[in-house]
Amino acid sequence: MEHDPAVIAGVCLVAEKAIMQAVDLSAGTREQLKGLYPLTIAVNCSSPAVNLYVTIDADGAVTVASYREESATVRLAGSWRDFLGVAAADDPASALINGNIQISGDTAPLLRLQAVLADLDIDWEAPLAETLGPVAGHQLAAVIRAFTRTSQSTHQRLKRQLSEFILEEGRLSPPQAEQNAFFSAVDDLVLRVDRADSRVKRIKKRLAGLSG
Amino acid sequence: MSTHDNATDDTTDFGFERVKKEEKAGRVREVFDSVASQYDLMNDLMSGGLHRLWKRFTIELSAVRPGQTVLDIAGGTGDLAAKFSNLVGKDGNVILSDINAAMLSVGRDRLIDKGALNNISVVQADAQFLPFEDNSIDCITIAFGLRNVTDKAKALASMNRVLKPGGRLLVLEFSKPVSPLLSKIYDAYSFSALPAMGKIIANDPDSYRYLAESIRKHPDQETLLEMVEDAGFVDCRYHNMTGGIVAVHRGIKG
Repeated sequence: MEHDPAVIAGVCLVAEKAIMQAVDLSAGTREQLKGLYPLTIAVNCSSPAVNLYVTIDADGAVTVASYREESATVRLAGSWRDFLGVAAADDPASALINGNIQISGDTAPLLRLQAVLADLDIDWEAPLAETLGPVAGHQLAAVIRAFTRTSQSTHQRLKRQLSEFILEEGRLSPPQAEQNAFFSAVDDLVLRVDRADSRVKRIKKRLAGLSG
Repeated sequence: MSTHDNATDDTTDFGFERVKKEEKAGRVREVFDSVASQYDLMNDLMSGGLHRLWKRFTIELSAVRPGQTVLDIAGGTGDLAAKFSNLVGKDGNVILSDINAAMLSVGRDRLIDKGALNNISVVQADAQFLPFEDNSIDCITIAFGLRNVTDKAKALASMNRVLKPGGRLLVLEFSKPVSPLLSKIYDAYSFSALPAMGKIIANDPDSYRYLAESIRKHPDQETLLEMVEDAGFVDCRYHNMTGGIVAVHRGIKG
């Protein structure tokens, strides 16, 4: 099914604006991006069938387009689930390399881009201060920062407590060591079944040779 | 289906009216003189901002590279020219052209405000008689302008003449919605809401009624594709946008 180019153009526009806003709010990132020029990453999503091209220009600007005739430096192909998996991963670079996404072309600039993204430090306080003034902007930023810190620590505490409850109090899941031993035994069994299977085949072949 | 201009007839469409061919340019000029100052605002309101996405995709299709020469016909208020200016860079050249001086004046002022005039020339020209050398332009765009041209075939031939071999033409224009339901909704919107908006915003319902009528009289996708091919372009194709309300036609000079 062909998608409406206007819809895809809208997606590209929103993505491009968001990326450029983040780049402009992170000191030094634009300079680092300039060092990656010329770089075009083709993103071929198989389902839904959408092609996007992310290009870094000479001035460090990032453009996102749905149509491009020049060949891409590096091409990433996969389904939207694969790309979503990479975007949501704690370590996107590792998820990209070890996941289901097929990578072709020159991957070196991709790794350099990953390093630039890892250094991305968005000064989100700046637009607040610009809009509300330095005092109110800073106060609101302090509140948001405190709220984010509390949320993060609460989330981590909850995650840890839930894990302890599942493993130790509720005994809803076996401990990690027990799981590993079980999986290792399953692997061992699979190996032995495979060996037995090939032995049976060999014996059958020999019997067929004797009777023939 | 929309109709071609008949070469043997000395009249042409002006909205739903038939007027003498020599009168059309003047009548169109009156319309655009009237709407020039509010043109971009009205475009945003009428299309809900979608015209920016249609133009964005057209720019992507142009595949313009640094150092190239781009001619934006009927470029009016210069929004495409400003984008092309960035793409061709300091070694390239963008020609913003329009038959209407009022639209060009608004466009030139806007480009000056954006600081984008260093590689842009502004030329008042009729698309049927482009005042440029043969084989001198890499890419021509005409966005929402072809339907106002008196003799579309002549204009397309003129564009073919000035393009370099391998150069491309992009025609962005209102077209025919592919779904009958969308077509009905679109008709109701064009003939009721559009003139009403024109009256409120620009105090000029007649001009906006003309815009709606001229859209209906413009050739549909397949007819325009044939016209582009007849003008000598090769590898011609079109992309419908927003359900066919708008289509962008592409042709390459062979």
